[in-house]
Amino acid sequence: MIMLSVHNLFQNKIRLSISIGGVALALSLIFSLNAIFAGVEERITAYINNSGADIFIAQSGVQNMHMASSSMPETVEDEVKTIPGVEFVTPINYVPNMVVVGDERNLAYIIGLPPDAKLGGPWKIFKGSRHPKSGEAIIDRFVAEKTGISIGDEVEIFGRQFVVAGLSEETASLVNSFAFISRSDFSTVRGGANTINFLLVKARPEENPEKLAKTIESQLGNVTARTTAAFSSLEQKVVKDMSTDVINLMNLIGFLIGLAVTALTIYTATLSRRSEYGVMKALGARNSYLYSTVITQALISVAIGFVVGAIFTWLVSIIIQGLGLNLTMNITALSLIKVGSLALLIGCISAVLPIRQISKLDPAMIFRGR
Amino acid sequence: MGISMLQAIHITKRYGFGPTEVAAIQDLSIKVDPGEVVLIMGPSGSGKTTLLSMLGALLKPSTGEIRLNGDVISMLSENRLPDIRLRKFGFIFQDFNLLSALSALENVALVAELIGLNKNSARKKAESLLINMGLEARLSFLPEKLSGGEKQRVAIARALVNDPTIILADEPTANLDSKVGHEIMHLLRAMAKEQNRSVIIVSHDQRIKDIADRVLWLEDGEFKEMVTMVMDPVCGMMIDREKSVILDWMGKTYYFCASGCRDEFINHQETVTQ
Repeated sequence: MIMLSVHNLFQNKIRLSISIGGVALALSLIFSLNAIFAGVEERITAYINNSGADIFIAQSGVQNMHMASSSMPETVEDEVKTIPGVEFVTPINYVPNMVVVGDERNLAYIIGLPPDAKLGGPWKIFKGSRHPKSGEAIIDRFVAEKTGISIGDEVEIFGRQFVVAGLSEETASLVNSFAFISRSDFSTVRGGANTINFLLVKARPEENPEKLAKTIESQLGNVTARTTAAFSSLEQKVVKDMSTDVINLMNLIGFLIGLAVTALTIYTATLSRRSEYGVMKALGARNSYLYSTVITQALISVAIGFVVGAIFTWLVSIIIQGLGLNLTMNITALSLIKVGSLALLIGCISAVLPIRQISKLDPAMIFRGR
Repeated sequence: MGISMLQAIHITKRYGFGPTEVAAIQDLSIKVDPGEVVLIMGPSGSGKTTLLSMLGALLKPSTGEIRLNGDVISMLSENRLPDIRLRKFGFIFQDFNLLSALSALENVALVAELIGLNKNSARKKAESLLINMGLEARLSFLPEKLSGGEKQRVAIARALVNDPTIILADEPTANLDSKVGHEIMHLLRAMAKEQNRSVIIVSHDQRIKDIADRVLWLEDGEFKEMVTMVMDPVCGMMIDREKSVILDWMGKTYYFCASGCRDEFINHQETVTQ
């Protein structure tokens, strides 16, 4: 049966190429979308994951940074410092705003950092300073290149001019970037000099961060303390919740295209061999055998299409990376499983119509010269 | 391979309903013995194909019965018929009907696998049959690379690989030149006589009369004339038994094409006994 499926499939190379190409492109569309969103998720949580902190402390009830507002009195910093197991802390200010260059406005999360902040600063510097002084800003390299800005040029943040002192890397996603200024500037232009938005905590090496987070919550009472991993995961969930509908819609479109292409090619392939299936029926092959042959053909098509689609997407991600575009494509194991399952589904559904054709075949037709 | 006897008893096949009803086969009976070659001839539209389809368990009669070794197969449910076809019948078609994507060997081995042989055994059996058919050098060839005669030999090997007791052949020589057609005819006769298989052939080819034990003329769904062919023991020619010269000799009956052959036979027998 597998031999027959393989031979049937590979006999007509053009049809095979169309079938596999169609499936590969459709699956590649799904792959790419998933990879792009996985890349966005990765970039959106990049700040949290690369902050160097073990624990994030926010205003009570605030579980993430994206589209959230957290405000705490500065005194929290001193209270946390006294808790056993805490090695050091860094208070930061944070608000979504713009990095403006001329007429170009770039959405950015603005981070206010204390001088010589040990945590929460840019983790990878392409050029210039890592610690913004008063009147200075560190912006993402991609934003700088896009707007033609370099070290020493000025950008507008919160309506005030800042001199670009450093260019950071891996701090931009498809939709926004991170920009770093000093906490004193942040307080000056935003007000609220005695407030902080988040407190980043480094635990002592021997301390369990999860346990320490619980201790902080119970001792301070009015804050939310989460380990970096938990905080990052909650951040991802928010992004996921916001993008799920879009991803599902695009997945559905990719699925339908893949289904249409596979179903059509398997259907026409079966029709073209109608008389051969009739011969096999006449010779004594059972319907189940013929159905299995068609299903195997469909599954082989989508399996090859899946591999080609995955390789194609991977190559695209490599090319994008090589071109230095502000787009990260992250092909995850979960995405492989998800697209693989969709491919399996496409294979099975696309075999339904041909199977109906075979079930209606009259084996006696073979003597009637049809 | 067991010995099977195929029998159709008062079978009728009707198509359509009411005023459009047509009887393709009308109250027809036939019995085919093991080792017998039966040739069914008749004009186009006479019902030959319908009869062959019913005898091969591909089509059920409207009335009457098809029996195989006494068992009524025409009453079996649709899901039991594939197994009967697979194990009891071998089919040979006018257009060869080989699977185009498979090699000669794979075409034959596929049927062997269908009857339950594992891949290796199926290929060995198929290979042995094809070698016997003189196709040793063509095993890996796709059908498109084979000549008409080679294709029909592959089809015959495919029809034999399941060790059927009954071979049904539909115009087996129609697409072959006369030399190859002649070879195929003798191959079919050998299958009947040496392997004790029943061979039922539907054909317009008059030459096949030479290898048939019996020739039936089908017209308007009925047998109009039944001719029993016998072999002249002297010249070896196939002759109509009813029109032959008959000789009863030493308790046996002999049939001759003419009195010359009969006289030669008598002279020879007398010389041997002296």
